[in-house]
Amino acid sequence: MNDPFTMLAGGFSYVLGGGAIFHALWATLLGIVVGALPGLTATMGVALLTTLTFSMGPQVAMLVLVCVYVGAIYGGSRSAILLNIPGTPASAASTLDGYPLAMQGQAGRAMGISTLGSWLGTLFGTLMLAIFAPTLGDFALSFGSYEMFWVALFGIIIAGSLSGGDSLKGYLAGFIGLFVATVGQESNHAYARFAFGNSDLAGGLGLLPVLVGVFGVSEVMGAMRGATVQAVSSKIDSVIPRISDVTKYWRTILRSGGLGTFIGAMPGLGEDIAAWTSYAAAKRTSKERHLFGKGSVEGLMAAETGESACVPGAIIPVLTLGVPGSAPAAVLMAAMMIHGLNPGPMLAISTPEFIYQIVAMLIIADMVKLIYGLILVRPLLWVLLIPRSRLMPIVFVLCTIGAYAITSRLFDVYVMLGAGLVGFILRELKFPMAPLVLGVVLGELLDKNLLRGLVLSGGDISPFFTRPISAFLFALTLLATLYAVPGLPGRLRGMLRRKPA
Amino acid sequence: MSSGADDAPVSARADLATAAVLLALGIAIIVESWGMPRFVVQSGTGLTAPGIVPGFHGAMIVLLAGLLGLRSLRQAGTKGAPATDVGSVALTAALGLIYAVGLIGRLPFWLAAALFVFSFTACFEWRASAGRRVRRLAEAAVLGLLTGGAVTYVFERIFLVRLP
Repeated sequence: MNDPFTMLAGGFSYVLGGGAIFHALWATLLGIVVGALPGLTATMGVALLTTLTFSMGPQVAMLVLVCVYVGAIYGGSRSAILLNIPGTPASAASTLDGYPLAMQGQAGRAMGISTLGSWLGTLFGTLMLAIFAPTLGDFALSFGSYEMFWVALFGIIIAGSLSGGDSLKGYLAGFIGLFVATVGQESNHAYARFAFGNSDLAGGLGLLPVLVGVFGVSEVMGAMRGATVQAVSSKIDSVIPRISDVTKYWRTILRSGGLGTFIGAMPGLGEDIAAWTSYAAAKRTSKERHLFGKGSVEGLMAAETGESACVPGAIIPVLTLGVPGSAPAAVLMAAMMIHGLNPGPMLAISTPEFIYQIVAMLIIADMVKLIYGLILVRPLLWVLLIPRSRLMPIVFVLCTIGAYAITSRLFDVYVMLGAGLVGFILRELKFPMAPLVLGVVLGELLDKNLLRGLVLSGGDISPFFTRPISAFLFALTLLATLYAVPGLPGRLRGMLRRKPA
Repeated sequence: MSSGADDAPVSARADLATAAVLLALGIAIIVESWGMPRFVVQSGTGLTAPGIVPGFHGAMIVLLAGLLGLRSLRQAGTKGAPATDVGSVALTAALGLIYAVGLIGRLPFWLAAALFVFSFTACFEWRASAGRRVRRLAEAAVLGLLTGGAVTYVFERIFLVRLP
């Protein structure tokens, strides 16, 4: 009935109409710059642009956001290679081999590998999205309220368990995010929760002002603290990638692409985890293990392919379940909701063509990224050296516009400021931010489905555990929790090993 | 899973204080949720009561904060990383607060933005550089005016976004 190739062609012709290439060009460039600048992350770039493209049509706005997302994840590797500072957390794994390569006078080659790896990664992930998203979307249609409740909770728990650092603090961050989402009128009786008679609070804490605060304001505060940066060298060799780097490491590229996409598709695990996992997997199987950490081409390729494959991967659950795969994807999902596109299982029914439009946008963004990666070397180096005392106030001004733009309430600016301060303090106390964002975004989904499930079952909670998919998702959530208990995975493994003897 | 100097642990005392604050927050959420109307008459069952979901979140926050507190007591004595540059953070927060609460909405947006960018750049570069301060101040003023003008023009005229 709906032939994928016809739908994809339709997607391209839809996206490319109306001066789209112009928007793709500036948005990808902006994304790369945002990603390359330490202190500005992909999440922040997407959050700011969501509000600033508010008055554009959904087609152009989505293209701009996808381009910023793809560009920012790639851009982070520039500062990782040249400054030994990951421009976004996703590029942390790239510093391990990128910077040593630059120190050996091969900064250009390292950037070429990063460009090529990132390009192939996004392409691979996009292919996976095009193949699996429609099927997964059909499967997700069989999910009821019970299952959706578990999907939301699983997302927060797995983000807390695996988003790096302290899982206890990850869960706390997730539940704080969920609590933030409950402020304001609920959907059943329009009762204003936690409003204390204030009409602004009764309207709820806006999703985007909170996100702009947590990722914009608190990052500005964090960035003003660090030392000034210095580039490794001003002499850069050719950035044109070598074909031999691809043919030699094709296994690594495929493995990292697959791992990156899979980790992206898991709710709440972002690009940084995709990069670290791909890097670790490459190191384990490599013949050149001794070179890892000292300037290994394979290591850099694995990290770059993994993080960039994660971008389309993280969009898969957005389109199929309405659950974001990473923090920037969470903001992208919020943007879709603002523009009236209803991400989730119903998308496959209401607007099946949208999946292919996203595929077309990702491919366009990936191609533009490749071109910039090969031609923009020196200008990006200048951008990296802009003093923070001049850049950050401008970012802060953009944050206030971003928070204000959607509803034109000064209250939203105060929400942004409050969220920024709280976010900064939580960051300083080593609370991971990914579960917090996921909590804020998934709060409503969890709220509605928990109550709807309870009403449907007449107060009986057993369907949450006995329906087959529910039971499976519950088991996954439990496993993710047990995995994070200190010492427990090792003990369990020990018990399993002893048994067969 | 990540590397870098930022990975130094938080001191046990800071964790204990965080746990206490979050415990108080969780209890406050539970108390407030409990006091919410139940709408039993309207729904027949009371299962759509607005307090159920936030109450659940509050209970989880209490449980997790309790665990965090117990853990920090067991790890008592763990020293955290030395305090970072508190002055810069406080200055950023203060300037941001004055701008967002004091200037926006009272002054035309371009002027508020220009004043903020100027004072931000001027404050930080004044601290950093002993010489050439006059030149730095002039550059900050130009940057402020350019930002105010460009941002207002681009967002109001091109993106059609309403400014505060």
